[in-house]
Amino acid sequence: MRSSIGIAAPVLAALLLPAVGAAQDGRAAPPGGRGAAPANYPPYTRPASAYVPPRTADGQPDISGLYVAIPLPRGIETPLVPMAGRGPNRANSEFSYSLNERPKLPEGAIVRPAGVDPPDGKIPLTPEALARRKEIIANQEKVEYLDGRVLCLAPGIPRSTVPAPVVGYQIFQKPGYVVIFYEQNHLYRTIPLDGRAALDPNIRKAMGVSRGRWEGNVLVVEVTNFTNNLNNNWVIGAVSATPGVPAESLTTGHGIPHSDQYRVTERYTPIDANTIHYEARIEDPKVFTQPWTVAFYAFARAPKNYVPVEYACFEGNEKNLLLMTNTDITGVRVNVP
Amino acid sequence: MKKPIAAIGVATTVAALAFGAAVGVARAQRGAAPPRAAAAPQTPSAYAGPRTPDRKPDLNGIWQALGTAHWNLEAHSASEGIPAGFSVVEGGAIPYQPWALAKRTENLKNRLDDDPLRRCFMPGVPRATYLPFPFEITQTPNHIGIAYEFAHATRTIFLDATPHLEDLDFWMGDARGKWDGDTLVVETVSLGDKTWFDQAGNFHSDALKVIERFTPIDATHINYEATIDDAKVFTRPWKISMIVYRRLEKNLELLDYECAEHVYEKLFKRRSGKS
Repeated sequence: MRSSIGIAAPVLAALLLPAVGAAQDGRAAPPGGRGAAPANYPPYTRPASAYVPPRTADGQPDISGLYVAIPLPRGIETPLVPMAGRGPNRANSEFSYSLNERPKLPEGAIVRPAGVDPPDGKIPLTPEALARRKEIIANQEKVEYLDGRVLCLAPGIPRSTVPAPVVGYQIFQKPGYVVIFYEQNHLYRTIPLDGRAALDPNIRKAMGVSRGRWEGNVLVVEVTNFTNNLNNNWVIGAVSATPGVPAESLTTGHGIPHSDQYRVTERYTPIDANTIHYEARIEDPKVFTQPWTVAFYAFARAPKNYVPVEYACFEGNEKNLLLMTNTDITGVRVNVP
Repeated sequence: MKKPIAAIGVATTVAALAFGAAVGVARAQRGAAPPRAAAAPQTPSAYAGPRTPDRKPDLNGIWQALGTAHWNLEAHSASEGIPAGFSVVEGGAIPYQPWALAKRTENLKNRLDDDPLRRCFMPGVPRATYLPFPFEITQTPNHIGIAYEFAHATRTIFLDATPHLEDLDFWMGDARGKWDGDTLVVETVSLGDKTWFDQAGNFHSDALKVIERFTPIDATHINYEATIDDAKVFTRPWKISMIVYRRLEKNLELLDYECAEHVYEKLFKRRSGKS
């Protein structure tokens, strides 16, 4: 019953941005011609940060601690074809916080979709990938096509950093490593900083295999070896896709699977003692015509006394899946209707 | 009755509002309980291994238990596919109340269906420690994170007097720790009643409290003890102990056992066979 998705229906759908001229042209412009930024968004530049974090005992810039997600101000992508009567992007109003106060963008931050490059804000899908995306979006009532995050699969990178209903992050640092615990679906990553080689390509992980380094005060992480078993392992995707929106009009990043060539380069830039800016460059020659980049202010230092709690996603999901997919799934006792 | 968090832990996209409300309740109650007083006098230690900058034994790294406790905590002969093993229970047998012993026997009979791990649920405490999968400790002065390879379960052990959360259950419990000399002592509550201790159907109720003691013997061995206290199921508290070994392979890292993914693979395969 897809109507259950309606819980997250946007309440601010009426919030219209000024029309974005370039977006109206859909995919008419050839890839080489997609240089110009939409009129109301300046070209993306990495945020300059004069902030110098304290140092850990082993000399790393110290960004450790508890954080919460900053809501995406304008979703993820600029749609290929905006829907009539809707702005091309909208506030991420389906986002639910348990906190009394939602963290805000830092002073001077540009309110824009997370997809910043190519400058037109569209995800540069190959024609085959776009067809695949349409197929996925059109078949959302089938469990084989369902959002992996709804199935409680680990959402991978950068999706684990896209704000979810469960918003906490815990960054640990120990000599030679940065470790991130995500409150969402009790995910974690251990990021070695010692320059070791990537793993054998036969080893795949849902959250990828991470290799990090500090460039000044910026943590740069190369992530490869992603799991590619299921169509449900998507590249990205905000909290929920509004039912009935065709693939060309999505702003949420939903429905893009990746291939075995998928790799991500992340940059974590501490802006001040309380804010980390996040950038992810996404590459997959089998899916995208060129690399593309999402960037947003992602992490805000958690309020004092914030306590991360366990989010037992899969454990609580059986009844939900039954409702949504009419599929009884009980582990080893899988009964197919 | 405590509300298991799993009941509200439905899929992220759908349950945003419900989840937010429930966690909001938990957070509103935070701070109501006073921090627990540090107990137990310090015990002398012969530990001479590496230490962190705050002079605690350095437990950072990847560890794994050996043995057969994940099959059965008690002494058992081999059966098909299951090696024989010694008991890790002090005194040999688990002191069940009579009704509970009967339930354990029933669990054992139905274990291939009823073991929560067969449904890819998080293993709970102390079972996560002695599954045949490694786990990684990340140690800081105020928080100790443990990441488990099985089903990417995690625990954050608070050492900073953060009070327990009230009225929520967690598959991996709610853990608070302190150092007793060179021993890390972890008290875990709110474990609910859905996890088992092993594949033999040994079980507990929602009254379970687990006190673990991680006592490093040297740089590569931890003496691991867990005291199981559950007055609804047992006639007295009881204790298991085993050695946990540091994995020394160069460049080792935790890999994935994405249990849920394999469930879906199986489900999709069966569905495609039907259609």
